[in-house]
Amino acid sequence: MKPKVAFFDFTGCEGCQLDVLNLDGEELIDLLSAVDIVNFREVKTEREDDYDIAFIEGSISRESEIPRLQKIREQAKVLVALGACACIGGINCLKNHLPMEEALKIVYGKDAKYYDTIPARPVDAVVSVDYYVRGCPPITAELLKVIKALLLGKEPDIPNHPVCVECKMAGNVCVFERGMTCLGPVTRAGCDAICVNSGRHCWGCRGLVDDPNIDSEKDILKKYGLTVEQAVEKFKIYNTYAEVTK
Amino acid sequence: MEENSVLVVDDEPIVRESIRDWLKDAGYQVATAESGEEALELIKKQDFNVMVLDIGLPGQAGIAVLKQVKAQRPWIKSIIMTAYPSAETTVEAKKLGAVHYLVRPIARDDLERLVRETLDSAGRERTVTTEVEIRPKPPVVEVVAVKKSLVITKEGLKSMVESLAKDMEIVGVKSRHGKYVYDRIASFEELHLDYDVAVTPPTKYLLPARETLLKFKIGDEPKVEPVIEAIPRAIIGIHPYDIKAIELLDDVFMTTNPDPNYIARRQNTIVIGVDCLNPSPKSFAPSMDTHLTETGFDLLLTNIGADYMVSVGSEKGADLLAKHAQLREPTGDEIAKQKAVRDGALAKYKLSLDIPKERLPKLLEESYDDPYWESRSESCLSCGSCVMVCPTCFCFDVKDNVSLNLKDGQRLRQWDGCVLIDFAKVATGENFRHDKASRLRHRIFRKGKYILERYGRFGCVGCGRCATACLAEIASPLEAFNAIVESVQAKEAAMRIFREVRPEIELYAPRLAELVKVEELTEREKVFEFSLKDGKALGHRPGQFVEVSVMGIGEAPVSVSSSPTRDGTFQLAVRKVGDVTNALHNLKKGAMVGIRGPFGNGFPLEALEGKDILFIAGGIGLVPMRSLVQYVLDRRSSFGRAILLFGARSPAERLFLDELAAWSKSPEIEFHETVDRGDESWMGNVGVITTLIPKVDIDPRKTMAVVVGPPIMYRFVIGQLKKRDLPDENIILSLERRMKCGVGKCGHCQINGVYVCQEGPVFTLAQLRNLREAV
Ligand SMILES: Cc1cc2nc3c(=O)[nH]c(=O)nc-3n(C[C@H](O)[C@H](O)[C@H](O)COP(=O)(O)OP(=O)(O)OC[C@H]3O[C@@H](n4cnc5c(N)ncnc54)[C@H](O)[C@@H]3O)c2cc1C
Ligand code: SF4
Ligand code: SF4
Ligand code: SF4
Ligand code: SF4
Ligand code: SF4
Ligand code: FES
Repeated sequence: MKPKVAFFDFTGCEGCQLDVLNLDGEELIDLLSAVDIVNFREVKTEREDDYDIAFIEGSISRESEIPRLQKIREQAKVLVALGACACIGGINCLKNHLPMEEALKIVYGKDAKYYDTIPARPVDAVVSVDYYVRGCPPITAELLKVIKALLLGKEPDIPNHPVCVECKMAGNVCVFERGMTCLGPVTRAGCDAICVNSGRHCWGCRGLVDDPNIDSEKDILKKYGLTVEQAVEKFKIYNTYAEVTK
Repeated sequence: MEENSVLVVDDEPIVRESIRDWLKDAGYQVATAESGEEALELIKKQDFNVMVLDIGLPGQAGIAVLKQVKAQRPWIKSIIMTAYPSAETTVEAKKLGAVHYLVRPIARDDLERLVRETLDSAGRERTVTTEVEIRPKPPVVEVVAVKKSLVITKEGLKSMVESLAKDMEIVGVKSRHGKYVYDRIASFEELHLDYDVAVTPPTKYLLPARETLLKFKIGDEPKVEPVIEAIPRAIIGIHPYDIKAIELLDDVFMTTNPDPNYIARRQNTIVIGVDCLNPSPKSFAPSMDTHLTETGFDLLLTNIGADYMVSVGSEKGADLLAKHAQLREPTGDEIAKQKAVRDGALAKYKLSLDIPKERLPKLLEESYDDPYWESRSESCLSCGSCVMVCPTCFCFDVKDNVSLNLKDGQRLRQWDGCVLIDFAKVATGENFRHDKASRLRHRIFRKGKYILERYGRFGCVGCGRCATACLAEIASPLEAFNAIVESVQAKEAAMRIFREVRPEIELYAPRLAELVKVEELTEREKVFEFSLKDGKALGHRPGQFVEVSVMGIGEAPVSVSSSPTRDGTFQLAVRKVGDVTNALHNLKKGAMVGIRGPFGNGFPLEALEGKDILFIAGGIGLVPMRSLVQYVLDRRSSFGRAILLFGARSPAERLFLDELAAWSKSPEIEFHETVDRGDESWMGNVGVITTLIPKVDIDPRKTMAVVVGPPIMYRFVIGQLKKRDLPDENIILSLERRMKCGVGKCGHCQINGVYVCQEGPVFTLAQLRNLREAV
């Protein structure tokens, strides 16, 4: 029996789902012969669907999303958080720094009264999560890694060391040596440091390692010319929910 | 025909038109069709390179359209789109030559990229890697003293490099972001020979960040095949300190347990060094004696102004000059000039050790408990930068990567490092270096002591890269060494540990073994009996271990639980704790696994002979112990008394019940056992294992105690044995550590300077007294 896989969309940009599909033909054939994808889009009645593995995309930022997520959790044998918003709250949590009414006004203007919104949070702040496919957007290879691990019955091996490891493996010149700053030293690797490889720096989209040395990272950001506020802003982009910005 | 014409076929006007606009903007000639029929009409009139086709079309079903296009215009490459993917249509489309299969919604960038790649792919060449043969007995790189110095002009050097480039890949130092990096060199002009230091070292061409060690197939016809890839390559412009680092790697990978992958690349690499005349401000190479070198290169250049001096370091270098270069003898002035530029460079180094490097090992030894390590490591990010940029670091991790079809896969090795948090974590959850301070200290000890003791060379060449890379500014071994200098006066010279040489070419390739019998021991443990497929006996000693592979899942070290005196098969008893062990538990009779080994030293049978033996086994420690107990019982007359003490946590966790029962009745062995907590059915002793020790009377002069159990048990058992006056030499322990390679390369199992997989896992307490991290 092929496991049935469903994708559910919460508050996010759907960029994560798009990424799922960025497979080459061969990979997609293999994927579809290993699992049945029963549902790709937002659906209304989760309970009637028949699925084993639920991929949750987006963060939880509306009251109404909570029961919906809980229902999915009840049905799914395995629940996977897909993408930065789902795994760590991600960019959506930026609004947590504003009072809620204000956030609503900024987003929805005069229609604000029709929406309920709560401080955004990652999926695991609401239900238990079995696996994480991190990143913004998430990396196809990592998604496949998780799926293969599920099929083989082993733990997916997701690194617990910082991006610097992969950045150095790629032979990059550290951005700190080029007048920029970077969250690589506290961010969980697994992306092969793509942002640094392509001339930018790490924003922390994969979340923090298990035991990050935040104090040291803040000291380094300061040493390289950021003010305390700027250093905190840097963490806020993706890692507001992890409360390192306090 | 236009070189970039694209046909877009989609019934939804919005999709069709936006794709048309995207591709037009990107510079393609685009035509559109809203149905399959229209598309087929169009391709008759006009030629296209690429078709982007929605297979959910009305009228002719998408797949049928694809079929017809394929028949009529086979050269058109098709990219298929759908909102409803299914395995059937994907397979079908693939058969019909569709090059990409996209699920909607589609991102503009992705589509553009795919169209571009599809157009490009026609002209693209396949990359070829040369298969190399490894010689059965790889020679250690021949050390030829520098025989000759010659002079080559800059023009001459350029044409030499250009001529070499026809035969092999050329790698050298290029500039990037105002720094220098090693990379492929396309033209001589890119090559820098006057750089200070490259951000990462050239050793990545000998030990790449990631490489495949094996290919395997899982299933009915399991297969394991070593993968060894190397291409002929010249690395030009390596500084002496990096050449010294390569010499260390040669010692590590080419002497004991020669590593076939490393050797293949090493033998295909030509090392062309260059003297470092503008040292990096962080370098302290002269203190490590690596700022110049007389060995380790094929050729070495010195910039003496107008021309280069070339020193010949090997036969290979001499041949290469003869084939590719024009040279002349140096004048007396030029020889003097070479010395002058080297002296000038030496004067530019700003940093140095405060003591001769020979005093480092002793100095470090005496500072093991220094509070310095704690305070120094406070700001450590465990980011790994220091080890990733280090030319002398070589630790690695090994993992399996299975294809999505779950039928084949590869075993990969990837750089790892002792400063990373999970490096020394084992199955029981214990992390032998869980705090930053002990990891930082371990790395510095490697650099100044352990590697030296093992290989006779320092594990640091003073390049200063780690000091530059460390954002917390704490990685420099020089600063660490100098900081602890005061506390110490030292004298000793390096001592090498000598080991037996056991050359093994298929170092990482397991032998296949068939599972001939499985038996459940407890809820968590099973015993597995294997027979090697080649029909041979394993050839192990009691106390040795094997690396057992479930292909696709990974490899785990497991002690052999049966004695070599029994049958041609061997037994492993395994507790379910994680990936590999779970997978083993799921195997059925007849399944194939991979076996490497036996590894490690095993119990010291010679020292046990004629002695009374007190076996003390806690929990799963009975597994390795059983191989020795069986051995002693099978060779009963060679030993004195045999006393076995066994402790389990509860009656349900007792292993090998039949054997326990047999031993308790046997006159050949005195058997006592206990459980920590009893239950209704349990009639025997209750209490921890140490409570059994006072119950037996032993003669400390002729008793050897063999102790195997969880780490916590050792401390207490040792205490009890010391009360019975047993000398440290008579207490034998088997240790568990995180292991990957089993052959003394990957670094995971290291306790201070010792590799448990090589010198262990069995040690006497006397040996362990010197290993601070051990118990
Ligand atoms: C010399 C030696 C002999 C051993 N003999 C036996 C035996 O006879 N029977 C037995 O049941 N077990 C034995 N072990 C322990 C066994 O190797 C581990 O339980 C096994 O490696 C766990 O692998 P896994 O894939 O099942 O777990 P994983 O899923 O990889 O990990 C589970 C946990 O194990 C740790 N771990 C991962 N790899 C290793 C490793 N190579 N060594 C130690 N811990 C690791 C991880 O950090 C993690 O905490 C022995 C270990 C050593 C070093
Ligand atoms: S660029 Fe960022 S990720 Fe790379 S080494 Fe520097 S700090 Fe680490
Ligand atoms: S480099 Fe940083 S921001 Fe970029 S993908 Fe990796 S974790 Fe995310
Ligand atoms: S010593 Fe420096 S480079 Fe090394 S892990 Fe610690 S912070 Fe990173
Ligand atoms: S430890 Fe640092 S200075 Fe020493 S060789 Fe490695 S990178 Fe260079
Ligand atoms: S153990 Fe040694 S070789 Fe391995 S990473 Fe640490 S310092 Fe480098
Ligand atoms: S060095 Fe790899 S297991 Fe010992």
